[in-house]
Amino acid sequence: MKKISFARIFNFAVILLFAFIMLAPYMWMITTSLKPRNMMGEPPYLIPTSFRFENYKIAWEAAPFLRYYINTLIVALGVIASRIIFASLAAYSFAIMKFKGRDFLFLLFLGTMMIPFQSIIIPSYQIARDFNWFNTFQVLIVPRMVDAFSIFLLRQNFVSIPKDYLDAAKMDGCNDWQTLWRIVFPLAQPTVLTMSLFTFLFIWNDFLWPLLVANAEKMRVIQVGLQAFSGRYQVEWTYMMAGTVMATILPILIFFIAQKQFISGIMKSGIKG
Amino acid sequence: MSRFYRSIKPFLYLLPSLIILGIFAYYPTLSVFRLSLYKWEFLSPKMEFVGFDQFVRLFGDDRFWNSLWVTTKYTLVVTAVSLLLGLVLAVLLNQKKSVPGRSFWRSVYFLPSVTPTVAIAMVWMLIFNPGFGIVNIALRKLGIEGLNWLADTKWALFCVMLLGIWRRMGFNFLNYLAALQNVSEALYESADIDGANGLEKFIYITLPLVKPTTIMLMILGVIDSFMVIDQILILTGGGPGGATEVIGQFMYTSAFRLSKLGYGSAISVVMFLIIMLFTLFQWRFVGFGTAEE
Repeated sequence: MKKISFARIFNFAVILLFAFIMLAPYMWMITTSLKPRNMMGEPPYLIPTSFRFENYKIAWEAAPFLRYYINTLIVALGVIASRIIFASLAAYSFAIMKFKGRDFLFLLFLGTMMIPFQSIIIPSYQIARDFNWFNTFQVLIVPRMVDAFSIFLLRQNFVSIPKDYLDAAKMDGCNDWQTLWRIVFPLAQPTVLTMSLFTFLFIWNDFLWPLLVANAEKMRVIQVGLQAFSGRYQVEWTYMMAGTVMATILPILIFFIAQKQFISGIMKSGIKG
Repeated sequence: MSRFYRSIKPFLYLLPSLIILGIFAYYPTLSVFRLSLYKWEFLSPKMEFVGFDQFVRLFGDDRFWNSLWVTTKYTLVVTAVSLLLGLVLAVLLNQKKSVPGRSFWRSVYFLPSVTPTVAIAMVWMLIFNPGFGIVNIALRKLGIEGLNWLADTKWALFCVMLLGIWRRMGFNFLNYLAALQNVSEALYESADIDGANGLEKFIYITLPLVKPTTIMLMILGVIDSFMVIDQILILTGGGPGGATEVIGQFMYTSAFRLSKLGYGSAISVVMFLIIMLFTLFQWRFVGFGTAEE
């Protein structure tokens, strides 16, 4: 018996160690963000010993963080709403309607998932310029309005809806449009929620594209804003970390509120947010 | 009219998606191949057709081979280490009886995966800062003077890899955990009866059973690491002296810093083809993107 309990303690120690490795960067970030300016490094604790919340106020006022927040939320809402609508329509067509070339079109859609965005960023940049879209909301929203993965997830969901439901809807005189929005779509709520959460994360974390096409102060989204802020406050680490906390806190809060959706979403589909 | 409407209705439902994907996915994909054949600089209207010249130049460019080599190192290390650690953690946390608060640890391990890359790269810059970073402060306590890690040719890539591993581990862990939960307890019990120890059980039961997951995570990890750019852009910009210049960074620098958009497109085409190869592997061996299939 003694040997087993030793193994258990060892296991638990490893679990704790890794939890520490995962959490230490956040602790160092928060601790630094609360330090007085002149004691940057010292003391090197991972738990705050001073609590200068003014750092947050100073950082918040030093760069238009509120603007960054609002911009990011507008983009996120726009992208999430359009992904829900367009993916539902497409998924309904693929899952429930019958037509020639359906499987081919579905594969063609899925094919877009294997295009790495970095490799088409130059022509995308060219398109944005030709449309005269630099520093607009369109350039951040429109290219992201449709993604094959959402269509795929929803289609899988729609296919599993019992045929009886659809037949009953038809008997009650529902046309396709009504069947989609009144019967099929409500049944897919959990998938829609998972999809929306991952899209939100994606938009909140997005960097390269907005950096290239929307880097005017007024149009910056949060991560681009943070990078610009770091360019100016490079040496002021206390303010820098306060800004970084502000750019990190929202997705983490959402993750803790909606853990179940995230975790089951990943476990079911093996995707990364 | 009604019959006509009925026959085009499925396409009407697909139309918005087709338009968006057409303009922002299919067209740019074709376009990047075309652009790679043109010498095109500074977004100027003048584009000179040069055929495959830029590919010839690219394959003779030491910077290109360096970036491929750096990307390969980064990809191998990050993928292998994050897979191994993810599996170890999943095995440890899968022992239902012995671990209190499992769902809490699960969330903690997954936290890095939902943290913005740019933001955490800022923290990494601070951690490895020569003056104020916790690494050097700790070393100083031990009487060692630390380096300027991110500006050091030998260490910069290592620091960037650490960030990659830290961010990827939780995702692998979660997928392994999902796979392990489908493994029947009875297998381990009968191994116990046969007198197998923990390591033997791991090698002879666990590893073979999670092999499909390993393959899937390996390919997804390779694709993901191969395209790494955000954290490099923030942490080192590819420096010092190209030590962390992955292929994505090389493309970005060529196209948007040096304004050689045609040359950048040629690099993009190479990236595209490499990634496509990996993806075809994935579709062939795993089915696409999903653990279930």
